[in-house]
Amino acid sequence: MQAKQSIREKANWAWGKAIWTWLPASDREAGDSIVRNFLLHWFPAKVSRESLSWNYSFWLGTISAILFLILTVTGTFLMFLYVPSVERAYLSVKDLEYTVSFGWFLRGLHRISAHLMVAVVFLHMVRVFLTAAYKNGAAVNQNRPVNWIVGVVLLLVTLFLSFTGYLLPWDQLAYWAITVGTNIASAAPVAGEWMRFILLGGNTIEQNTLIRFYVLHCFFLPLIVLALFSYHMWRVRKDGGLACVDKEALAQKKEKVAPIKSKTYSLLGITSGVTVHVETSLVDEDKHTVQSSPNLTRRLLLVTLATLAVASILTFIFHAPLEEPANPAITPNPAKAPWYFLWLQELVTITTFSIGGFTINGALIGGIIVPGILVAAAILWPYFDKSPARSTGVWFAKERRRQNMIFLLVVLFILVLTIVGTFLRGPYWNFYWPWESWPEMPRKF
Amino acid sequence: MKSRKSWLDKFRSKGETEQAKLNRIKAEILAEDAEPHANKTSRRSFLTRLGVGATLAALAGQAFAYLRSLKPNVLYEEPQKFKVGAPDQFGEGGKFLEDKRLFVFKERNTFYAISASCTHLGCTVKMQKLNQPKKVRTRKREFEEQYEFHCPCHGSKYYGDGTNYAGPAPRPLDYFKLEVSPDDGQLIVDMSQVVDQNFRLTV
Repeated sequence: MQAKQSIREKANWAWGKAIWTWLPASDREAGDSIVRNFLLHWFPAKVSRESLSWNYSFWLGTISAILFLILTVTGTFLMFLYVPSVERAYLSVKDLEYTVSFGWFLRGLHRISAHLMVAVVFLHMVRVFLTAAYKNGAAVNQNRPVNWIVGVVLLLVTLFLSFTGYLLPWDQLAYWAITVGTNIASAAPVAGEWMRFILLGGNTIEQNTLIRFYVLHCFFLPLIVLALFSYHMWRVRKDGGLACVDKEALAQKKEKVAPIKSKTYSLLGITSGVTVHVETSLVDEDKHTVQSSPNLTRRLLLVTLATLAVASILTFIFHAPLEEPANPAITPNPAKAPWYFLWLQELVTITTFSIGGFTINGALIGGIIVPGILVAAAILWPYFDKSPARSTGVWFAKERRRQNMIFLLVVLFILVLTIVGTFLRGPYWNFYWPWESWPEMPRKF
Repeated sequence: MKSRKSWLDKFRSKGETEQAKLNRIKAEILAEDAEPHANKTSRRSFLTRLGVGATLAALAGQAFAYLRSLKPNVLYEEPQKFKVGAPDQFGEGGKFLEDKRLFVFKERNTFYAISASCTHLGCTVKMQKLNQPKKVRTRKREFEEQYEFHCPCHGSKYYGDGTNYAGPAPRPLDYFKLEVSPDDGQLIVDMSQVVDQNFRLTV
């Protein structure tokens, strides 16, 4: 009996030792846990309530990261089961669907997570814009605009990751989506044809293309995402956390409360302004902040669980399609790019027109000029946003109404074109309402 | 030691007298005041356990599915059992089937098959014709051999019946089961079935 109890005590002790950083019993343990736990070390010891709230950030950045994690894990397993050769790629995907245990689930979850990631990263960008979270607050040494640019690049890399993955099943859907997608890229002036040639490793989509896309998809691009993501997170810490924290600091200044004691050892008179570290430590901790462990970690766990659950459930609902093997001789009609590029394909179609004998090339306008301008505008926007610092971290700030309107119009424009391209375009890219049936088309040409 | 009150206990307490019931409730209230929440699993800790349990269950489920996918259900390997030709196509003595790494021997009307895979580390052994017949005595039998098997990798040597006698090889070469196909009379080798050295198929 005595021995039994001591084993039990030992087990309790070991369990406590293993989880105390996740369930600290005191404020002191909570502070220690951030320092002592490798997985928690990148969090601040304390975090503001506002940045933990569900409806400030909607946790979209976190969800993107979790989706990336799901994609990395499922992708690693898929790499064991997929063969990147023209002869065997399709057959190995077919085996995944029909003979490998849970192969359909791995592939389906990977695909759904990829689609979700494109959507969530985009929504994250929309959130950051509408809350002016790319703006610096009152502290010096903040550089949120740079983090915004990193975010824009991360969105582009995410799109490219999804695009390169699209080819790998080597079925008709994959083959023709990539054909259409890469043809849009070839419309770029001067370098377009060359770019397509290098990307495809030739003039047509063949073995060279498959292995290039495979290596880009499985190694090169994830590595870039990982590097940029690390920097993205580091910058968030350097910039004093989410932008809503700055709002709190500013609000507190207006309240004219007695100054809060903070440890600062600055060379007064030499440095100008207040650094991020001082500025954020000026926020009334008792009123506005909580311990990161377990308050932040608990929500992180919940978001992880919810993301995994939603992605898994969607996997059961939407089965990953697998059409006939890729056949360069049979073009499906209509041939569509991946859904997130359909607004570009739509743009390419509607911007092709002739005035007299002069034809305007839609691929140039819709494929290169418009998206080029949009990306450039996104990158430069923070430097032209002259709204006051108090709009930082505020949803739909009064001072930024016009900016938000313009941004939302562009978002709406992209969404409408995407929806038209996805649901309302039939053979020969003709317009069809969802209730109209498409005409019978010959299967072979 | 405090016992946990479940809904069942409350249900059971229906039979008690009014006074006893009052006393019990009083005692419960006093105990609760002395040490709040001591008797119950609080909603918070229940939800925490539920959350952690759900997370672990979800991760375990996903991990099982991922790992299970790595155990192949279908193999595209060469079959272990295959036809090697009609018995009358074989001349007296041994024939080496290169792509199967296999020797098929004919002695008058009997057949047997010996693996060419060295039992040391799997190199392909070579059949060495001897200049003159050699008398050999193994633990099992005595015979006169015309040839031997020599491994080029690490110098293992086998007598004509496959018994190892020199080099690092730990055991004799494998003998495989032979049978006659019922449909066309060809010989069938089953490399998944290792048989005794005395195995002979009589045709």
